Amino acid sequence: MYGYVRPAMDRLSGEERELFQAAYCGLCRAMGRRYGQWSRVLLNYDFTFLAILLSPATDRSCRRCPAVCFQARWGLEGDKALDLAADCTVLLAWWQLQDSVADDSPLGGLPSRLLSQTLRRAYRTAAAARPAFDAAVQAQLARLAALERAGCASLDQPADAFAQLLAGVAEEVEDPVGRRVLCQLFYHLGRWVYLADAADDLAKDAARGRYNPLIGRFGLGDGRWTPEAKEVLGRTMDLSIRQMAAAFELWDFGPWAGIIRATLYQGLYAVGHSVLEGDFHKRRPRRGRKEQI
Amino acid sequence: MKDPYEVLHISSTASDEEVKKAYRELARKYHPDNYHDNPLADLAQEKMKEINEAYATINRMREGRSGGAAASSGYDRGYSSHSSDPMLQQARAAVARGNIAYAERLLDEARERSAEWYFLKGGICFRRGWMDEALRYIQTACQMEPGNQEYRQALEMLQGSGYRPSKYDVYSTNCGGLEMCCAQLACMSGGCYICPCFCI
Repeated sequence: MYGYVRPAMDRLSGEERELFQAAYCGLCRAMGRRYGQWSRVLLNYDFTFLAILLSPATDRSCRRCPAVCFQARWGLEGDKALDLAADCTVLLAWWQLQDSVADDSPLGGLPSRLLSQTLRRAYRTAAAARPAFDAAVQAQLARLAALERAGCASLDQPADAFAQLLAGVAEEVEDPVGRRVLCQLFYHLGRWVYLADAADDLAKDAARGRYNPLIGRFGLGDGRWTPEAKEVLGRTMDLSIRQMAAAFELWDFGPWAGIIRATLYQGLYAVGHSVLEGDFHKRRPRRGRKEQI
Repeated sequence: MKDPYEVLHISSTASDEEVKKAYRELARKYHPDNYHDNPLADLAQEKMKEINEAYATINRMREGRSGGAAASSGYDRGYSSHSSDPMLQQARAAVARGNIAYAERLLDEARERSAEWYFLKGGICFRRGWMDEALRYIQTACQMEPGNQEYRQALEMLQGSGYRPSKYDVYSTNCGGLEMCCAQLACMSGGCYICPCFCI
């Protein structure tokens, strides 16, 4: 989860922008409360979207935030769904950190290793709170690692492992219909994120000789895109976005509907294009991440 | 029974034209084409039924007619089966029931890989969420039998833009995500609900 999932901000009303910020701040507070201040560094837009999809409540409270010079910020409060999103954030981020530690060179992997040490306790607490999800994440990541070792040339197979992993979050949802809708939505969200990340890392992975499904699928050993590869990848990412949108329309997301709509009907297309064109990181906001939402 | 106006998200004072517009927008959203081979197709069907009933009820209330116009409006299109090979026919039925593992086993056992085999394999991949492989299988089926309407319709569905709320333009990752795609305008202006569907 790398911060790709964001709404088209120009589509949001003033109230929806405040709600989006409240979700971001609410998840940040929930992580701080449950896992200590260090865990807050794991927060990004993807996990905020997870919290939005899971959270039925919009009760907010205003507090001062150290990340923005102790300015007052509204954040969601006391919601079980926020706790679930916080737990899933820690577990997903932890296992991704372990992956980085294993993949990177001793020196290159140093930041991941240090962060990993810092968050070990947070991981243990989260794993104790959600043992089934922790086991599912480990099983899917092991599957993904096996596919990587085998140099799998399919896009769908490794993407399926990551998609199944994220779909596992929905298993924690109590309502049976909501669980089915979210399972499908999370599956394609995971698939889309995996493919966006593969596209983002193509040049880097090719240069370092690391696994990237796009290299095998399109023969991009030199890390350079071909027009055909971009076209096909863009189309398959579109199909996942459409599946997410179709699932979204079957469940009442209440006050969050506008934000989700702005993400699924516009935001993800814009981010996907930006990633494929290689300017996603160039478009990073100049101001602090918290301030810009 | 729910208030039919609430189902269509309109007030009871809405004009006939507004009722029709609301119905058409919702019918476009929940049309079977948008949920074909989707694990949530049954939920969309329930929504569609609810919308059709609400529209028919409002029409009855307003015009004193018996029977609803909406129920026969053509949105409830059924799915047909065209297979000649008994094993492929069985696989079709299994996909329609959502028994993907069984359908896949049947296809794996098939000796001959006909255009229909690729078409069905594409349907299985689609249902599973493996969109890249679904598209490749359907493309192969179309190449093997270019004149087959069913395969061509499935390919068009995969390449179409799907439902969008009226406020949103047609976006795509390749077209920039910020501008309307010329290639997809035809689909949008015709309304994707009239596009042919993926018949298994």
